[in-house]
This record gives sequence, C-alpha cells and structure tokens, in this order.
Amino acid sequence: MKLKQFLTVASIAVALSLPVAASANEGGVALKHAEIDVTDQAQLRRGLTVFTDVCMGCHSAKYVTYKGLMDYPELALSREEVDDLRGDKPLASGMITDLSPADAEVSYGKVPPDLSLIVNARRGGANYVYSILTGFEHDPSGKVPDGNFNEYFPGNRIAMPDPLSWLGHDEDETKELEEQAHDVAAFLTFIGDPHQNQRHAIGKYVMIFLLLLTIILYLLKKEVWKDVKH
Amino acid sequence: MLEKMMKSKLFGWIDERTGAEAIIKSQLTEYEVPKNLNYMWNFGSLALLVLVLQILTGIFLAMYYKPSAALTYGGYTVAFDSVERIMRDVNFGWLIRYMHAVGASAFFVVVYMHIGRGLYYGSYKGPRELLWIIGVVILLIMQGAAFFGYLLPWGQMSFWGATVITNLFGALPVIGEFLQEVLRGGFAVGDPTLNRFFSLHYLFPLLLVAIVGGHVHALHVVHSNNPTGLDVHAGKSTIPFHPYYTIKDAFGVGVFLLFYCYVVFFNPQMGGYFIEVDNYVPANNLQTPPHIAPVWYLTPWYTILRSFESKLIGVLAMGASLGILFLLPFLDRSKVRSARYRPVYRQMVYLFFVTVIILGYCGHSAPTPTLKLIGQISTAYYFAFFLLLPFVPMFEKTKPLPEEI
Amino acid sequence: MSETDQTRRNFLFAAAGGMGGIAAAATVVPFIGSMLPAADTLAAATTEFDVATVEAGQLVVIQWQGKPVFVVHRTPELLKQVDGHDAMLKDPNSEAIEAVSAEWITPENRKYRAIKPEYLITVASCTHLGCIPLFKPSPGRAEWGDSVPEDWPGGWHCPCHGSLYDVSARVINGSPAPHNLHLMPYKYLSETRVVIG
Repeated sequence: MKLKQFLTVASIAVALSLPVAASANEGGVALKHAEIDVTDQAQLRRGLTVFTDVCMGCHSAKYVTYKGLMDYPELALSREEVDDLRGDKPLASGMITDLSPADAEVSYGKVPPDLSLIVNARRGGANYVYSILTGFEHDPSGKVPDGNFNEYFPGNRIAMPDPLSWLGHDEDETKELEEQAHDVAAFLTFIGDPHQNQRHAIGKYVMIFLLLLTIILYLLKKEVWKDVKH
Repeated sequence: MLEKMMKSKLFGWIDERTGAEAIIKSQLTEYEVPKNLNYMWNFGSLALLVLVLQILTGIFLAMYYKPSAALTYGGYTVAFDSVERIMRDVNFGWLIRYMHAVGASAFFVVVYMHIGRGLYYGSYKGPRELLWIIGVVILLIMQGAAFFGYLLPWGQMSFWGATVITNLFGALPVIGEFLQEVLRGGFAVGDPTLNRFFSLHYLFPLLLVAIVGGHVHALHVVHSNNPTGLDVHAGKSTIPFHPYYTIKDAFGVGVFLLFYCYVVFFNPQMGGYFIEVDNYVPANNLQTPPHIAPVWYLTPWYTILRSFESKLIGVLAMGASLGILFLLPFLDRSKVRSARYRPVYRQMVYLFFVTVIILGYCGHSAPTPTLKLIGQISTAYYFAFFLLLPFVPMFEKTKPLPEEI
Repeated sequence: MSETDQTRRNFLFAAAGGMGGIAAAATVVPFIGSMLPAADTLAAATTEFDVATVEAGQLVVIQWQGKPVFVVHRTPELLKQVDGHDAMLKDPNSEAIEAVSAEWITPENRKYRAIKPEYLITVASCTHLGCIPLFKPSPGRAEWGDSVPEDWPGGWHCPCHGSLYDVSARVINGSPAPHNLHLMPYKYLSETRVVIG
C-alpha cells in the first residue's frame, strides 16, 4: 500500500470514530447540546457557586480539594474565598458534602454519586449533565411524581429531585436556570480532568514540533533513498 | 556518524571484549533487506517503539499506582484513588497515564497492521513459519497484558471485564474451575485478583521483551519477505538495513507520533474507545453496567464467543480462533507467497480483513438479533478462511511471477 | 553523488538528529518531573502541635513532612547549659548554612535557637547521615559513660557515628556531622499551640 493511500485511510478512520462516540446516549433520547468552554474563568466560577450552593447539599467532589480551587489557574480563587467555602475543613480536604451516606439512603433511597468524574462517567458528558438538569417534566402518564420524572434519564425515573426547581419555573426564569445548568456543566467538565487546558496548550507545541520533524525525516528519507535504483 | 563512532578507540576497546563490530555489521550495516519493501513494513519497528513506550510509562505509573481494592469515601477504592491522584496531583501524571492508556490501543493498531501485512504478502510461509508462530505468541501475551492492565484502575469495566473473562476460563472442562480460582484467588474477582493482576501486568511485558528478541532474531535468520513474495538473494535486489531502513523507519515513527500525540493530547478517551466511559465509575460488585463490552481490540474474539449458544463451545471457538493462527503456515499449501499473484487468495484475505472489522463492530455493540446473525456469519467466514486455504491451490490460477523484484 | 547533494544530505541528517535529540530531552522532563513530590504531598506540609504536652526536661519526637522533629521542654537548668562552651562548637551562632538558621532568630534568642527558649524545636536528623541522635541532657560522664567526652556540656549523641550536639542542638568540634541540627519555620498560633512548616 502506498503511503498516501494509507494516511488517507488512517485519517478517515480517526475522523469517523469521533462523532459516532460523541452522539451516543444511553436513554435513547437525543441530548440537548451544551457548548462548553473550560477556559472561561467567569463561567467556571459561577459553576462552582452553583455546585457549592446547590449540588453540594447532597453530592461530593472528593477528588477536588479546596486547595485546588486556589491552585488551578482556571479558577484561581483567593485564600479568603476558599476559607469562606471550606469552613473548618482542612485546605487539603476534598469537597465533601455534609449529608452522610446513611441519611442520603434514607431520604433518597440511594447515595448520590460523587461528581468529580461525572462528565467522564456518563455517555454524552456535559450534554448529559445539562440535559438532566433541564429535563424535569410532568410525567405524561402520571405515574412518576413531579420532580422525579426526567426526560433524559434512562428509565425516566430519577432519584434526584429537581435541584434547580426547573419544573416550578416561570417563563422569565427559564433563561437564568438554563445558564445555571450550563455553568455547572462547564464546572463539572473542568474538574473531570483539571489539566485539560494545560494538555491542549502543550499539545499544540508538540504537534507543530512533530510535524516539522516528520517533514525533515521525509526529506531525509527521499534524499538517502536516491541511491537506490529501482 | 556510525562509521566514525566505530573507528574510535573506545569502540575498539569494547569490540575486543564483545564483538560489537561484527554484531553491528551483521544486524545493521551489512544486514541485507529487500529494496522494495513498502510502508506496510514499517509497523514492526513501530510495534517495538510502542512496547518501549508502554514499559517506560508503566514503570513511572507503578511508582504511584496502588493495587488495593480497600474501600475509600464515596464507594471508591485505594486503587481508583491512586489513579485519580496520578491524573490530578502527580506532576505530568496525566500525560504519563494517557500515554499508557492510548499506548495500549496504539500497540494493537500497530500490531494488527503488522499481522495484516504478514497475511497479505504471505510472510508466514516457509521458511518463516517459526517467525510467524513466535509472532502469534507475542499477540497472545499482549492480549494477556492488556487484559491484566485493564483491571488495574478498578472501574466498572475493569471489574466486570475481569469477571466475565475469568468466568470464561471457568467454562472449560476439567481444568476450568481450577484455572478460575488460580486467576481470581477468591470466590469472586476481588482484592487478591487485583494484586496478582498487577504483578502479572508487570511480568508480561518483560516476557514480551524476551520473545520480541526471539522474533527479531528469527527474522534476521530468514530475512524479510517483500511485496512480491519472491526469494531475494544478496546483491542487486537488496540494500543494507542501515541507513536505508533505519531512516525509513524513523520517518514512520514521525508519522506514527503525529497520530499518537494527537490522540494523547486532544482526545485521550477517543470517545470511549480507548478509555471506556463506564471505567470512570468505581467498581461495584453488586451492579453490572447496562452495556458491557471489552475494549475494541478484543471485540472480534468476543463476538466469536457470543456467536454460540453453548458457553463451552463459545469459549472453545474463541480459543480456536486464536489457536488456528499457529497452524496458518501449514494450512496454506500454495507455492506463491504474495497475494499480488494470487487472485483467489487476494479476494479471500480482503474479505477476511473486512470480516474481522465486522466482528469487532458486533462485539462492541449491544447484542441484537440482526447483529448476532451478522456475527455468526462473520465467525463462519473467519474459520472458513483458514480451513479453505489447503484447497485453494487446487483451483487457483496464479499470475506469472516476475524474474526479479 | 554531487557536492550539493552531499551538503543537503548532511544538513538533513544534522537537522533530524538535532530535533530527535530535542524530542528525547523534552520527553525526559515529564518523566523525571513525575518523580518530584506530587501536589497533595506538598499540600500536607504543615504539622500542628501543643508544646504544653511535653513535660519539663523531657523530649518528644513528632513528625513533620515525614521527617522526625525534636520538641524539648528545657528547664532553667538546661537553659543554663547553653552557655560557656562556645569554643567547643563548630558554628556557635548558627550561621554556616541557611537551614540551621531561621527568620525569627534575634541576637537574644540566637544561642537558644528557639522562639520561646524553654521549647526547642529542631529537625531530629543528624546532619551527618540522618540518624536520630540520643538525648543525653545531663553534663559530664556520670550518666553516660564513655559515649561522651569528659567535658560533656549535655545535649545529643548520635549512635550511628558519634556526632555530638549541645542542648541547643549545635554540633561539637570533632563530630563527623558538619552542621548544627536544622531548624524549620514555625510559629505559635496561641500560647502553646505551634504550627510547623
């Protein structure tokens, strides 16, 4: 096989595998799309606020430490802001909810999952999180009580009661709630892989360098192979 | 540069004690390689590169990884936590871990291309039978190493993958139960399993290094095949390995690294193909994920397993599908090596490649009746390909071979 | 092959070799970097301790950053033992290297090497090869026999290679250890609660 043919096939294969995987969804309903930019500090901070004010009532993010909130340049909270958030928890502690697993079991029937990796751990990622948060509806068949029926949750019956009061909203509030859901989806995307921006930044240089190196190696190969008579 | 180095005093001192000059000459500068190898011949050196990368990244990951299934807060475990610590707290841990995870898939991409090339150009045929057989052993050890490694993060796919596969071994008659217990070290997959898998995951690559050495040695005895499949004799049809193929391989490495680094830096999960979504959920022995499939490089064999109603036959078929690779050099009786000059074999081998891809697709998807049927037809062809080989020369009219390459 | 071809070839060889070398060197950075202390290890770098739990004349060993730390409650008698033997010391003013000094050192507390003279807090690793020295506070040989010199001012004796330190952990002449025991940054949060690091 000629090199060009091979490269074409390989590139197409890589390109094809991406959209297929991205659009996959467990529940069968197409998810809403949430445009996520994990470099937007203002949005990530708003998302953090939604997380600490709402989500952390029940959920933890054990792999994200309070110290991390200061150290990650994407968030870069001040010591005072972090001290306000952590109360008497140590700086090196993860963001752990005050709701004990036993109490959660009693109230909701199951222990709420840790959210550190939730975007990585669900098909659809941030779109899934956004869709769930804005997917609470009245059950058309009337079987599932309001607040536990979610269009996007596999099986539709979700143990988490409508955290943003999506269902009780009026028209004016819709936009604000959508923004909150969007912000927290961005925050959760960030904490799922907190070095992703650094990775992309380094990656650009690596790719440029490798491209140059490969071109030089190609020229060298052509040059040296001039000796070979076919 | 190499010539200059070989003239130095230091080299002379080393040469007297090791015979280094003779080795370099016989293996590199005077090792004769057919001059007409195409880029499909680059995948051998790439496989060696990925093996080195995997061992290197693995050594550094092992400095932080902890093989323990002891529970921590939130249903996670010490092992899972240690992986997340590598991803978050260890300097460049994210890079090393993604290199290792992507490297596992890259290894199989490269090795499958390498095997496909061998199939197409008849590189398994005499006198290279043993070279091919050593290669199949390498494939099996790679699959083992990958399977052991996949357990280590102790996510849901780790746990249930290991449960399913150890159960497979349990299905074997007589030795099944024994084998299963030896693998698990308990009544179910658990902490002892994790510890021994870690140990074996470290051992297998070392075995690979030794066997790859044997593979290269065997190659250098019988020399490379080439796209025409003709026997070539030193002289006008061959060129020395160094510098021609060292440089061509280096260029191949550049192209490979472009793809590899793109995935590592911009898409390390590869949409759930390289690191599966469910493996970000901690292992839970009381709840199986709704959709469970092995990683992509094992799915063709998984489909063969699922194509049979009986568990035992499924397991045996899967074993046979790998085992039959050992017999390939003896099943193919054709005097002509390369598919270029074998019109029937050429169609058969193309169909075989397509079949393996279909098998892989079926194994990755949730089972439906249609897919099951497609999987069964593909399985049938998978075996038919090998079993028809002895009869092909009876009716195949091969094209005339050129005199010289 | 023509001359220009050879030049071009040499240039390409050099460029490829050079870039390959850079690539290899750049690859070393993350790997060696990963062996440096991780972020969470660095975060767990302080220790809190209540010095009131140490009885008069006693020594306790606590941990800071995984290293042993001495906390000694020095009685007025022990504090007197700090004086009168400066001639025996390699570095009586703790000035040789940065690690034996601290930000809070003043002319008054220099000989005590402590913020509050009655509580000496010092890294417990002998500066020779890292063993933990034995506390031998009383002067002379009465209690300790041959292990200390006749003019022993009281202090520490390292069992590994015989290094000697006075009660302010300053190294005595003739010891294999080069420096006084190291100090570390610490501060008092309250009357007796101290945070180290």
